[in-house]
Amino acid sequence: MSLLSVRGLDKRFGGVHAVRDLSFDVHPQTVKALIGPNGAGKSTVFNLLTGFDRPDAGSASFDGTELVGMPPHRIVRAGVARTFQESRLFETMTVEENVLVGMHHRLKTTFADAAMRTPRVVREEREAREQALHAMRVVGLEPFKDTLASDLPHGIRRLVEIARALATDPRLVLLDEPAAGLDGRETQELAEALLRIRDTGVTLLVVEHDMGLVMEISDEIVVVDQGRKIAEGPPRIIQKDPAVIEAYLGEVVDGV
Amino acid sequence: MRRRLNEAIVFVAGVAMLAVPAVVTDRYVLKVLTFVGLNTIVVIGLALLFGYAGQVSLGHAAFFGIGAYTSARLVMSFGLPWVLSVVGAAVVAALAGWAVAVPGLRLRGHYLAMATLGFNEIMSVAFVEARPVTGGNDGLGGVPFPSFGSFELKTPSALFVLVWAVALLVWLAARNIVRSRPGRAMRALHCTEPGALASGVDVAAVKVRVFALSAGLAGLAGALFAHSVGFISPSSFGLDLSVLLVAAVVLGGRESLSGPIVAMAVLTLLQYLGALLPGLPRQAAEAIQDWVPDIVGATLIAVLIARARGGAPVRAKEALGRGAR
Repeated sequence: MSLLSVRGLDKRFGGVHAVRDLSFDVHPQTVKALIGPNGAGKSTVFNLLTGFDRPDAGSASFDGTELVGMPPHRIVRAGVARTFQESRLFETMTVEENVLVGMHHRLKTTFADAAMRTPRVVREEREAREQALHAMRVVGLEPFKDTLASDLPHGIRRLVEIARALATDPRLVLLDEPAAGLDGRETQELAEALLRIRDTGVTLLVVEHDMGLVMEISDEIVVVDQGRKIAEGPPRIIQKDPAVIEAYLGEVVDGV
Repeated sequence: MRRRLNEAIVFVAGVAMLAVPAVVTDRYVLKVLTFVGLNTIVVIGLALLFGYAGQVSLGHAAFFGIGAYTSARLVMSFGLPWVLSVVGAAVVAALAGWAVAVPGLRLRGHYLAMATLGFNEIMSVAFVEARPVTGGNDGLGGVPFPSFGSFELKTPSALFVLVWAVALLVWLAARNIVRSRPGRAMRALHCTEPGALASGVDVAAVKVRVFALSAGLAGLAGALFAHSVGFISPSSFGLDLSVLLVAAVVLGGRESLSGPIVAMAVLTLLQYLGALLPGLPRQAAEAIQDWVPDIVGATLIAVLIARARGGAPVRAKEALGRGAR
């Protein structure tokens, strides 16, 4: 039984065939890595799965719900969250506020309620801040609670993106290069955080170039090259797959 | 903590404004300060839309006008009680805002500015040409004073208190909005729309709602204006007012209510400097009055250039020209 079932996903941008007839499954409470050389179409796949772009063909069924055709915010409400390769934090807001925006669809306060600041609004705000604190603790962000996003060091910014995604109460999180720009120690801390998140019952689909991290945390790997799937399986098998080695030839890859 | 202090100052200043008529007896000065109160209501709405949500509107004078004519007509032609006509005017202006926002908010940055500017110009012509409703260029006179039953508010001090009491309530409501869920959504989509979408925020819906709210507040102020001055004409609802409001929000800063209010007050008072500073020679006062639109424009340009060079803390450049993202 799979949580996310991708079938025949296809996308062209003008003359570029970015994603070709891609199919794969993500199983509940596992970590799946989506890897491939630069320009293989990994980020496009993420955009297609999260409503930021529409595929020309194919489907993506999340626990029985068809994601293709849904707008991004509805996909979040259905239980699929994502992070971005280039961080898209709310720079003028504190870490806590960034996380609270992630809780947007779980809160009920409307413009009218908010204007009158009813007792229900006050209660909801207090409860939301408690839950936000919890989401910050999972990734160790508590000390940065009141820091503006624009003032954060790079490594911490990546964690805020993850905490914000977790705040949407997702069952599946798509992480786009979470280790980009992190040093060795930070990457190790990230790996531990991701495994902790998986252990809380959240399924992860990760695009990542750091092969050390991929091999450490993944239960399964799917390899794409020029938009096409060339291999799929557990890390041990993928490392020895001739097609994968061929695709990576000429590229310097950490840890392989 | 600094924000708390800032808000406390604004609150005390707001309440103190209500006591002004006890000290100031000059009818003209009270009328000028009443205009500041009306503009406060409009600029709070624009600060929510532009300063918080990042959606520019160069059409707010038109919503102000829609509110003014609607309320005047509801009382004069349909005999509605004053309170209902003011509420009705705010609702009509909000609906107009909604109608502009649904197609308009597909546009961003400069394009949204152009579209709302176009709307302001269209309404300026409509106010002149729809003579049976608006009285055309001759204006609409004899708009009744605000009244509760048989009790009319017609002295400058009573009108002053009414307008500033409403302004204070609007400020409290706006402050409550920006501190909770809808306010965070507005600020978030201003920073990054993909980030807001990925956090589950229905960006399009939030934009339309804040636009309608903002237009509704302009309409509310317009209605209060019509009943306070008793005479309205198209010249009160021109582009110069829209530009002054946008300038006030840019000068006042992103994600601020008190900043735009103070900036708007200064820009509004410039026009009446002659009456406010008795010692000022008449010619100097008139010169300043004539040059106010130029002062507003020049200040706006100077501030934007300074901020584009990183000379000021607020990223107003982003707020105005977010075309690319």
